[in-house]
Amino acid sequence: MESPFAIQIDTLSKTYRQRNGAPIQAVKDLNLCVPAGQVFGFLGPNGAGKTTTIKMICGLVTPTSGRVRVGRYDVWRHRSAAVRQIGAVLEGTRNVHWPLSAWDNLLYFGHLKGMWGRRLTRRAEQLLRELDLWDRRKDLVRTFSRGMQQKVAVACALVADPPIVLLDEPTLGLDVQAARTVRDMVGRLAQERGKTVVLTTHQLDMAQKLCDRVAIISKGRILANEPVEELLHLFSEEHYQIKVEGRLPVGVADCFDELTVEEENGNTILRGPIADQDALYDVLDRLRGLGLPLLSASRAEPDLEGVFVRMLDTDKAREER
Amino acid sequence: MKTALITLLGEVRKSLLISWTYRANVFVATFTLGFIFVGIGLLTGGGELDSEQLTFMFVGYLVWFYTRAAISDLSWGLRGEMSAGTLEQMSMSPVPIGLVLAGRVFTSLLLTTAQILIQGSVFFLLLDIRIPLRWEGIPILALTLIGVFGFGYIVAGATLVFKQSESLANVVENLLLFINGTMVPLDAMPAWLASIARAFPSTLGIAVLRRVVLDGRSLGLVWQDKSLVWLIVHSSICLAIGWLVFDRCERVAKKQGSLGQY
Repeated sequence: MESPFAIQIDTLSKTYRQRNGAPIQAVKDLNLCVPAGQVFGFLGPNGAGKTTTIKMICGLVTPTSGRVRVGRYDVWRHRSAAVRQIGAVLEGTRNVHWPLSAWDNLLYFGHLKGMWGRRLTRRAEQLLRELDLWDRRKDLVRTFSRGMQQKVAVACALVADPPIVLLDEPTLGLDVQAARTVRDMVGRLAQERGKTVVLTTHQLDMAQKLCDRVAIISKGRILANEPVEELLHLFSEEHYQIKVEGRLPVGVADCFDELTVEEENGNTILRGPIADQDALYDVLDRLRGLGLPLLSASRAEPDLEGVFVRMLDTDKAREER
Repeated sequence: MKTALITLLGEVRKSLLISWTYRANVFVATFTLGFIFVGIGLLTGGGELDSEQLTFMFVGYLVWFYTRAAISDLSWGLRGEMSAGTLEQMSMSPVPIGLVLAGRVFTSLLLTTAQILIQGSVFFLLLDIRIPLRWEGIPILALTLIGVFGFGYIVAGATLVFKQSESLANVVENLLLFINGTMVPLDAMPAWLASIARAFPSTLGIAVLRRVVLDGRSLGLVWQDKSLVWLIVHSSICLAIGWLVFDRCERVAKKQGSLGQY
């Protein structure tokens, strides 16, 4: 029976050795299943182990232990079949040949995956037209803007029409317009073409818009792995928005712990996690003590950024204990 | 098999296109190395260009030119891929990276042959260097190059692991020019140096090539005197070791997580 998962990661670990021989554990006993046909967000702070995991999925880094299956294939036992399932844009590199034209890049990466002839040229034309690069297909990639170069990289990752696309920080360093183009394209990949997309990004608003499911990783461990809506819902229970008339006196905002304080049209809005009803009434009492009339108090849906920060803080606090 | 062939041809096409982009560099290198040959010819000829001496040297120089290209195109080329961030993409081909690089080896052969033909024509016209065109030289040259490219894979493997291999490649390239019998015949070297020189991949090939092309010996004769047999064994061993070392180095780089780093 066909697995419902595009990628299955089983107790995957990676320990690097520093020059002095000291070990650094980048990934620790990671278990993860990426459902087929979804956009899967793989989120974490710098150094969390995202790129190492992505590279282990691509077969570019050998795990210390554990295994990765891509579709039906074990990445290390059936490397050739496994890498045919994957197209990737990796973080921090050019990914494509700057001294070649966009057209020649697509042909080259198609050849690398074993494609050729009319099937390849048709596919390359389709991708270049979709990404508005057709008119400049003969120009060398080094003459392109950063955004256009990234679009060529994405096109090269898609040229062999792989069922799984791994995008490691695809919008890093792009301006707003270029980032939006890439974002829209990622959305279309899953919705219209049924691709499985694994996306790592620090742009959490983008992840919230695009992803069906996210995993949050920190220090090589998974902290959460839930559908986005469920993850947000988990935290909505204790997330509030309180609006009072007037402004908080100078210096008082710091007394409201983890709540963010914003001013809007002369009123003050406090947002954030409040542990329980007692804590909520305590905040309201303090506001009343300041003589600020209450306009509204409601349970608020947190955004992914809020959840992300909260999970990392909780993890940090647990470690310190 | 089909995928490997397509990938190989794709790599050849790409390497040729990139070489065309940098054609000025290729052009300049052709003439720079030509001047080096003439310069060394002047030195060994005591200030004079002796066409007989130059013809003897040219056979060795020709092999050295291919050796230099093998080392440069495999190791520096690989480093170029690392710094361009395309090596990891290349490694995600269903075809092993070593085999993808064979496409580059083929391009290197094509370009070097073109450069040699240009230089040979100029030397023929200006320096009266006349290499007898004997078909028997082709299989000997091919066997020699198999060993040379095996050696290139060793240096390329070192590049995957140690990254900063330019100085190593430079030393090896220049060392080979002087001790593989290009300039000085092995008989004229001290015994200890000649023993070391024989271990290098191109030395035996140059000696056999001279016997066949310049001395006019047949393949049967060099087979009988065992030099051809040794060349086959030597080149096969070099290629096998080169492939194994490269494969091992690729595994080490993947284990270190440093495949695409430079």
